[in-house]
Amino acid sequence: MDAVVKFTSQSQGRDRIFRATQYACALSIYLLRNNSERKNLVAKLKSLETNMSAGRKLFRLGNTVNSIEAAKRTMQLSDRVLCLCLTAANMNRALYFICDNVLWARSVGLIRDIDKERWSLNSSRCYFLSLVMSLTRDVYVVLQLMTQRARDKHFRQKMELQLNESPEVAEAVIPHLDAFLFLLLESLKSHPAVALDTLKNICDLFIPLDRLGLYKSNAGVVGFCGLISSVIGIVTLAQPKLRLKP
Amino acid sequence: MDSWVRFNAQSQAKERVIRAAQYACTLLGYTLQKGGAAAELRKTVSQLEAHMSLSRKLLRLGNSVEALEAAKRAIHLSDSVLRLCLTISHLNRAMYFACDNVLWAGKTGLVSKLDQHKWSQRSFRYYLFALILNLTRDVYELRLLIECEERSRAARSPPSPTLPTDHSLSPSAPDVLAWLRRQLHLLVTVLYSNPPLLLDLLKNSCDVFIPLDRLGIYPTGQGFVGACGLASSVLSLLTMVHPWLKLKP
Repeated sequence: MDAVVKFTSQSQGRDRIFRATQYACALSIYLLRNNSERKNLVAKLKSLETNMSAGRKLFRLGNTVNSIEAAKRTMQLSDRVLCLCLTAANMNRALYFICDNVLWARSVGLIRDIDKERWSLNSSRCYFLSLVMSLTRDVYVVLQLMTQRARDKHFRQKMELQLNESPEVAEAVIPHLDAFLFLLLESLKSHPAVALDTLKNICDLFIPLDRLGLYKSNAGVVGFCGLISSVIGIVTLAQPKLRLKP
Repeated sequence: MDSWVRFNAQSQAKERVIRAAQYACTLLGYTLQKGGAAAELRKTVSQLEAHMSLSRKLLRLGNSVEALEAAKRAIHLSDSVLRLCLTISHLNRAMYFACDNVLWAGKTGLVSKLDQHKWSQRSFRYYLFALILNLTRDVYELRLLIECEERSRAARSPPSPTLPTDHSLSPSAPDVLAWLRRQLHLLVTVLYSNPPLLLDLLKNSCDVFIPLDRLGIYPTGQGFVGACGLASSVLSLLTMVHPWLKLKP
């Protein structure tokens, strides 16, 4: 109980729970869309999803400042690639929050004469760019880990043993691919934080890809990916060891 | 900027800021009505107020658990009056949050056919009980501090010889006035030297008008309720920004 209270007292903790519920509702609505007996339930789920989404937009009103502060911190990183990727990701998130705040003002009626569709597309674009930059950083970190491992003598011995154990593997191209995959999987297994962050960003990517029309999936896929990424977000918040730093 | 980030990270702080904005909208709606502003502007303000109220209900979804944990902690206090007041106050708050959660479920359509008025009244009753207990605790602490201050004053300077020695006579008007002035001076001194108690007393006094108005016990009108709600939210935000201003336990 104490841990639950501590988790929910963080603003981010609550927001992630709401996000998970929102996408779970979206997924359920998609799965039940053709079920005529559950029309009542579908209506309730739609209402819940709208309410959660509206509430979350209100709670996000101060997050632009958070992102700018994070960008200021990441500008001071020593590794240049990390510095570039993270600062760009944070700046894009700040722009996304600004567009989101404008959309909130439009939805409550404080601002009337703005093109809602254009601002919505812009916010999706900024979100998409920030996810791409985060994924670039993930790939960079994974490549670093892989080169580190490849240089390690003990690991090379282990790899030789692993590859020579399966003689039925075809020659030519496949041994290199096999070695690469083995190296990749071992690196990801030894650093679960990177694996979780990569998975989260890949899942999140489907949402703006669908919204911008770059890769049209359906509402079910979007709901499912959103739910997975929210659950991973909750896990990384509850277990700070699983959080990728910086 | 760093302090804003830390502040924003607390869920309760966000809820307080939204509460302050909500009651500011209530106050604004009242002044617009009195000033005869356009109906559309009034509608926007009241819609914004409703949106903030519903979102706050969403944000408060887990608060019953927090209130129960606080009640569990309050049971271990040494002072029996404080123990009683605080434990029952937290339990009432837990019930208020539970009713609030039911109201949220009703407003979002999860529970159909909910008697919103009945549950709203219920939740305000629990809120009123919690506030009355908090005020009782404040008055009790104030009394203790006043007695302490009186004793320390008597120890520092011997009693004045101009006091009447014949106590069988009923006190005359100037004596009563002098006594009142002295008590008032004691009260002001104690409150001035204990800002947490003063803030908590002010906050609870402002808050108590909200359920009194909504339950119809002492109707004061939208403007006054809005002003009281805004004042108590600002005081609560002050105690969050400066944790030393929070009354403990």
